[in-house]
Amino acid sequence: MRALIIAFVVATPLVAILSLRDGFFVFIIGIALIHMLWASGLNLLYGFTGLIPLTYAGIAGVSAYTTIHLVMAKGLSFWWALPIGSAVAAVLGLLLSLPAIRLRGFYFALSGMVIQSAITIAFVYFPAYTNGDTGIASVPRPTGFDGRGIASPYMELVLAAFVAATVAGVWLTMRTRFGHTLIAIREDEDLARAMGINVTLNRTAAFIISSFIAGIGGGLYAHYIGFASPRAYDVLISLNIWLMVAMGGRGTLIGPLLGALLLAPLPYLLVQYTWIKDVIYGVAILLVTMFLPQGIYGYVLKRGAKS
Amino acid sequence: MSEHLLEAVDVSKAFGGLKALSQINVTQGRGELLGMIGPNGSGKSTFVNVISGALKPDSGDIRLMGGSIYRKPQHVVARAGIARTFQAVKIFGKLSVLDNVLAGALGHEMSRADATELAKASLARVGLNVDLDKNAGSLGLYDRRRLEFAARLISRPKLLMLDEPVGGLNPEEIRAMIALIQSLREECGIFIIEHTMKVITSLADRVVVLVNGRKLVDDTPQAVLRHREVIDVYLGTGDA
Amino acid sequence: MSDEHILVLLSVLTSGLLVGTIFSVVAAGLSLIHGTILLPQAANGQVFLGAGLLFWLFGTEFDWPLWVSVPATFLIIAMIAFATEATILKRFYPLEDRNISYLIITLGIAQILSGVYTGTIGKISDTFQVTTPFPGFAMIEPVPIPNTRLVAFVLAAAVLGGLMAFLRLHRIGRALRAVFQNREAARLRGIDTLKIYRFAFLLGTMITTAGGILFALAFALDLTVGWTMSLITFSIMIVGGPGSVVGALCVGLVFGFTQAIVSVFADPTVSTFAYLLAMLAMLFIRPSGLFAK
Repeated sequence: MRALIIAFVVATPLVAILSLRDGFFVFIIGIALIHMLWASGLNLLYGFTGLIPLTYAGIAGVSAYTTIHLVMAKGLSFWWALPIGSAVAAVLGLLLSLPAIRLRGFYFALSGMVIQSAITIAFVYFPAYTNGDTGIASVPRPTGFDGRGIASPYMELVLAAFVAATVAGVWLTMRTRFGHTLIAIREDEDLARAMGINVTLNRTAAFIISSFIAGIGGGLYAHYIGFASPRAYDVLISLNIWLMVAMGGRGTLIGPLLGALLLAPLPYLLVQYTWIKDVIYGVAILLVTMFLPQGIYGYVLKRGAKS
Repeated sequence: MSEHLLEAVDVSKAFGGLKALSQINVTQGRGELLGMIGPNGSGKSTFVNVISGALKPDSGDIRLMGGSIYRKPQHVVARAGIARTFQAVKIFGKLSVLDNVLAGALGHEMSRADATELAKASLARVGLNVDLDKNAGSLGLYDRRRLEFAARLISRPKLLMLDEPVGGLNPEEIRAMIALIQSLREECGIFIIEHTMKVITSLADRVVVLVNGRKLVDDTPQAVLRHREVIDVYLGTGDA
Repeated sequence: MSDEHILVLLSVLTSGLLVGTIFSVVAAGLSLIHGTILLPQAANGQVFLGAGLLFWLFGTEFDWPLWVSVPATFLIIAMIAFATEATILKRFYPLEDRNISYLIITLGIAQILSGVYTGTIGKISDTFQVTTPFPGFAMIEPVPIPNTRLVAFVLAAAVLGGLMAFLRLHRIGRALRAVFQNREAARLRGIDTLKIYRFAFLLGTMITTAGGILFALAFALDLTVGWTMSLITFSIMIVGGPGSVVGALCVGLVFGFTQAIVSVFADPTVSTFAYLLAMLAMLFIRPSGLFAK
């Protein structure tokens, strides 16, 4: 079962990209890949450290708008703009969340909800960089070797490479002493503190890394769909990326990828019935929280361990 | 003059109107095994929480080997060399036995190789002979208490504070635990909170009696047992 | 001060009072639920909106008389609240840190509701204006006040007054306060915490429903009002202190006046921004709120 899921997660995007090469379904795969990247980043903070960052989408949005500004207004190459935009987003996210990081889980999450709402309001009502609710259109694709925008299916392959790199990064991080410290904090922060672990410092480090990944996803997303609007980086988006991690399997490497692959395409498949996606996501949140807190892949792992 | 291991000077802590600790003075010498007893709610656990940094005292001073740890954050105090166990055993129930002990090294300076060596040594030291990969939550109470010890010993603490370490154990386990604690004396200072007289008298060099957040008596176990007020306090509880 | 200034001042005061009182009502419902059960109801704003929408649907779209539309609204929401509590919320009562689970769950419920609204009633219209059962104006020198707003204000004040009296005087109300102040002690005194939790959730939801109906009477609704109200009432609850109806009242009024004053110069969203800042500051400095025991 475990192998089946891994194969599904890895093979489906690649097969779709290589065989279909272009069109609507390849686009959906691209969207799913970006959400896989996002989910992996959020998993670092939620699955491995135990914090729910409801500011995640807002941070992605800051990166998106910064990257767009650097590319469209300042003429920078996307490949420079992306890391800069992500770094800006990570720093801003940190500054806003710094006081909240030392709070207990619930208060951290609530603070995140507030900060995210403030960020969305800022996106809408300070249109200098964001063009408010109207949004920014005609955002160009990242430039390839020929100096022009990367077309499908190469763009999707680039996205897949980003996902692979992110997953590898998370995997390596979790093998370090830092990674083990995060797990101890997730399991019991009071015990961790009593054993000499600086909980706040480690959480902050995890927050920065996680936010940077959110930013990478944000920059890629805006330049992939060619559009940016405040609603795309709102609190429900943070919640829905959290859902992808939770439903897929928090604290595992494959879980977030699975959750993203299953959930991210929904709004696009539902077309004009997008409101149904809200109902589906909401119901999924309830079901996962009540019956399957370890997620699908987490459940499969547990079942496998027993036998 | 040699430094004391631990000095708590006029330590006070109040929760709202409730005075949990009132001007507590406690000194522990090196090589001394100090016990603290008192009825429920007398402030024993609060004292350990304050010394270990889990709670901030309102006033007073606290020194470890002469260095001030007054109002330092809990992880700093832990790194300075104070390790503590909890009344209700605290381990990482979802992690393995080995990971539990290794976690005790995460906050301290040592390489992974050293930590693994020390982890195995600590487990041997406390006599816990189980599969290293076994899930810690599946262990019985006595094994979990020993695991908790091992996870503290790996950091080679200067002072080990034990909060009611024999709670919930059967008589044979209690005997074994007393022997274990005795054997640990040579490695680090030990401070025990207990409410069972028998355990305290068989282990402690000196006993501090806490009642309603105040220090009543500070003397050898024999002297404490004969102290009139202590007899009054414990009369009827059948703990002596 | 010129007549014009007096007019502006009085109209700001009256609208501030009205908005503030309705804020307080909705925040009181939220605060009651969080204070008693430790359940942060993030879907509160959507319940509020739902109440207003149902009231519009029954009273204006279907043109039912007041004595049918109001009870029908309360009844439907009560049934949904009861079902939600019994099937979903009840499961988490034994958990120590259930507030984080509840935050996620209620956000999920909020998402479901907002989707349902968009897909159903949202197809009928973009804004929803209830045709008032109380037409005409009353003159409170020199400001003309629509009767409908006057009625809304009086009823909102009555709800708040009734709630405070209930919590102080009635046996069940006192049990609620006992649970809020010390859950363990209340249980030892023989209070059936499970029944109290259910009651608190239903009562809090009904109060929020009342707030929604009153808001629909006084103002127009659109589908974004739900989230905005959630943010505002959460801010009020955190700043005032969860569980404190007095806190909800005082802070609600302050926020109401702030909104009214700010609306004269700028977009009301500026005030929402300020509320969020206040909530954040309170979370960092004193999470138990201003009026904590």
